[in-house]
Amino acid sequence: MKTKQDFPSINEREPDGLKPDGTPFRVLVVDDSMFVAKQIGQILTSEGYEVAATAADGQEGVEKYKELFPNIDLVTMDITMPKMDGITALEHIMNFDKNAKVVMISALGKQDLVKKSLLLGAKNYIVKPLDRKKVLERIAQVLGKTSTA
Amino acid sequence: MRVEYINPFVEAAFNVLKEVLNTDIKRGELYLKSTTMPVLGVAALVGLAGDVEGRVMFDMTKQTALAVASTMNGEQLSSLDELAKATITELANMITAQAVTKLHDLGFRFDLTPPALFTGDNMEVSDHEVEALIVPMETPQGKIEINVAIRERA
Amino acid sequence: MHIQEQNLQQEVRTENGHTEGSRTEKAIAVDFKMVTFSLAGKDYGVDIMNVKEIAKASKFTYVPNAAPFLRGVYNLRGEIIPVIDFRIFFHLPAERKSEDSLENLLILRLEDHVYGVIVDSIDKVVGIHSSNIQPPHPIFGDINIKYIYGVVENQGRLYIILDVNRIFEQKEEEKPRLITETSNGTFFAAQTAALEHAVSETTPKASASDLEFIKETLFALKHFAATPLNEQWVASRFEEWKKIRNSNDLQLKNAEDADEFLASFYSPCNGRLWDEDYAEKVLSALPDLSAKTITVWNPGCGKGYESYSLACILKKRYKDARIKIWASDNDLLAVSSAPNMVFELEAVPALYHEFMVKGRYGYSFNQEIKDVILFEYHDMKNVNPFTDLDMIMARDVLSFLDPNEQTKILNDFSEKLKARGLVLVGHHEVLPEDDWTRLGTEPVSLYMYNS
Repeated sequence: MKTKQDFPSINEREPDGLKPDGTPFRVLVVDDSMFVAKQIGQILTSEGYEVAATAADGQEGVEKYKELFPNIDLVTMDITMPKMDGITALEHIMNFDKNAKVVMISALGKQDLVKKSLLLGAKNYIVKPLDRKKVLERIAQVLGKTSTA
Repeated sequence: MRVEYINPFVEAAFNVLKEVLNTDIKRGELYLKSTTMPVLGVAALVGLAGDVEGRVMFDMTKQTALAVASTMNGEQLSSLDELAKATITELANMITAQAVTKLHDLGFRFDLTPPALFTGDNMEVSDHEVEALIVPMETPQGKIEINVAIRERA
Repeated sequence: MHIQEQNLQQEVRTENGHTEGSRTEKAIAVDFKMVTFSLAGKDYGVDIMNVKEIAKASKFTYVPNAAPFLRGVYNLRGEIIPVIDFRIFFHLPAERKSEDSLENLLILRLEDHVYGVIVDSIDKVVGIHSSNIQPPHPIFGDINIKYIYGVVENQGRLYIILDVNRIFEQKEEEKPRLITETSNGTFFAAQTAALEHAVSETTPKASASDLEFIKETLFALKHFAATPLNEQWVASRFEEWKKIRNSNDLQLKNAEDADEFLASFYSPCNGRLWDEDYAEKVLSALPDLSAKTITVWNPGCGKGYESYSLACILKKRYKDARIKIWASDNDLLAVSSAPNMVFELEAVPALYHEFMVKGRYGYSFNQEIKDVILFEYHDMKNVNPFTDLDMIMARDVLSFLDPNEQTKILNDFSEKLKARGLVLVGHHEVLPEDDWTRLGTEPVSLYMYNS
C-alpha cells in the first residue's frame, strides 16, 4: 500500500515529533472525515508524532481527551462536525484543562471563527486543503520547538 | 442566483480542485437549470443556510469519483469504499467552505452543514421551486458538475 | 545531512509522480475524436461531439429562392433539417450526381440545431491527442481560414479540422442594447424556418407571405416572435419597410437587416439610464400606492440601466415606502457587471445626481439605491419564488420569447402580482385588454391587472 510517508531520515536532524527525551508527542485527532483523519495521521507519523487517538465528533473528542489526560500533548480539531462542533468541543477541553494545546483544522476560514477559537484558547488555526509543510511548522511552533527549514 | 454569489463558488472550485489534484483545471460555461436533474452516479450534497437557503451539489460519475479519490489519497483505490467516499465528501466540504469564507469577506452570511454523499444508478435530484446554477469543471479525472441551488431568505 | 533528506524527499516525489505519470500516459493517447471525410480530394475532420449520425440520402425537397449551397430540406425521421452541400459552400469542385443517386450526409448537431451536410465520402473515426493539433495556416486550405479549427496529422494523412460552430454561426455585429433573451439564430435556421413553412403549407398569397417570411427570419435571427403582443407594430413597420426597400429586396438576408427592421421597436432609453423626459413620463403614469413596502420584479434587466432608473423614480414617487427590486437576466456577462456600474457624471442625466456618490473610478449609485436592487443571474422561464409583487417591469422582453412561452409567462405575471398589480412592458408591446387596463400613454406601456 503506497503512502506519502517519508522514510525515516538517516541524518542528524531530529524529527519534530520527538520530545527531547526521544519519546514521541502524542496527538489526539478530532475530525468526522475518515479521509482527513488519515491525511493528518500520515503527516504526523511521517514526522515522528504518535497519533494517540482519533475521534469522529466533538463529543467523542472531549471524552477521549479527558480519558487520556495528561497523556495528550496536542489536539487537532475540525470545526464542522455532527453532535458537537469543534468550537464547543474546544471550549469544553479548555475548561477541563487550561493548559491544553488545541490547533483548529478546518475548511472554513472565516475571520470570526478564527478569532473566536483563538479567544477560547486555541493555539493556532489551519485552513484546509492541508499543506504538509505548513501543518508541521505550525504544530512544531505550538509545541514550543522552532521549525527546521 | 444573486450575481455576487457566483464568483466565490467558481473560484473556490477552481482553487481547491487545482490544489488537491495538483493539475490544470478547465471551467466550462456556466448555465441555469430548473428541471429534475439526473445525477451522474456520485453526488455530494452540502446544505447552506444563513442569508440564503439551499444546497450545493457536486456531481460526477463513479469512475471520476474513484479517480479523484485515488489522486487525493496518493494511491490507486480499487472501489468506492468508505475511504473513497470520505475523500469525495471532504472535497465537497472544502470547496463549499472556501466559497462560504469568500462570501463572508464580501459581507454575506452563509453557514454550511456537514456533507452527505449519495451513490447509485439512475438517481435524480428534484428541487421544489429552485433554479440551479451549474458550474462544469473539467479535470483529467473527468467532469465534475457543481450545482448550486439557493434562494434569498425573504 | 540536509542533502540526504532532500534526495529521499525527491525519491518519494518521483515515486508518486511515477504512478501518476503512468496513469496519465494511458490517457495521453486520445482526447479528441473526429469523423473524417473528404471534399474535393482533401481530408477533413469534424469533432465527433458534433456528429449526430451518418446517412445516405437522395431525395431532398428542393426549395427555390434559397442560397445555392442549400440543396434543400430533408425529413430525418420526422425532423425537417436543412441540407447544405459543403462543396458548394466552400466553392470546391463537386461532381453533380443524378437526382436519384445517394449523397453522403453527415448529420451534425450544434446546440439546438440539426443540419445535414453533403460531402464526397465519409471515411472513419480518428482519435488523436489535442496537443497535436496545429493552428491553421492559410496555405493549407482552399477554405476560408476562419472556418478551420486546426490541422492534424495521423497515420500519414493530413486532416483539416473544421470549426463547425463558426461555419453555422452568423456573427452578430450589433446586439440589441437591452440584452434580454439573446439567441444564436443562424442564417441557415432562418432559411429552414422559411423552408419548413413552404414545405408544410400550400403557398400563400405573395405579399402576405413576404411578411410571413420576414417574421420567421426575425425569429430565427433575433428570436423576436411576432405575436398579438406586438402585431400592431409589426404591421405598421412592414408598411414602412415596403417604402424603404424596393419590392424584391424586402427579405431580411442577415443579422444586419434584421437589426435594421427591429430598430424602431425598442423602448426609449434602451440600454442606458432613462433621460429626464422619459423618466418624467413614467413617474407621472405611476398611480398612488399606499403600501409600506413596494416589491418589483425586473426580468430582462440586461446591464441594469433600467433597474437603476426605476429605483430612482420609485424613490421619488413613493418617498415613504421601502422599495425592493429583484432585477434578473439570463445573460451572465451583462448582469454580473450591474452591481458595480461606474459612470461619468457628465454622461448622467441631472435627475440622478442626488442619488450618486463619487468613488475611486468615477460616480456610482449610493448605498441606499444599491440596497434597493438585487441583481440575479436567472432565466425567467425557470421557476422562481417571486410572489405578491407590486410591479413587474419587463421592457422589450416578452417579444423575444417563444410564442407559447409568452402566453405562459404573461399568465405567470398575473399570478405573481398583488391585486391591481402593475406591469410595465415595452413601448410597442400591447397587453390584452380583457385582463389588463392601460394606465400609461405613449410611450409608457404601463398596465394594471384587472383581478
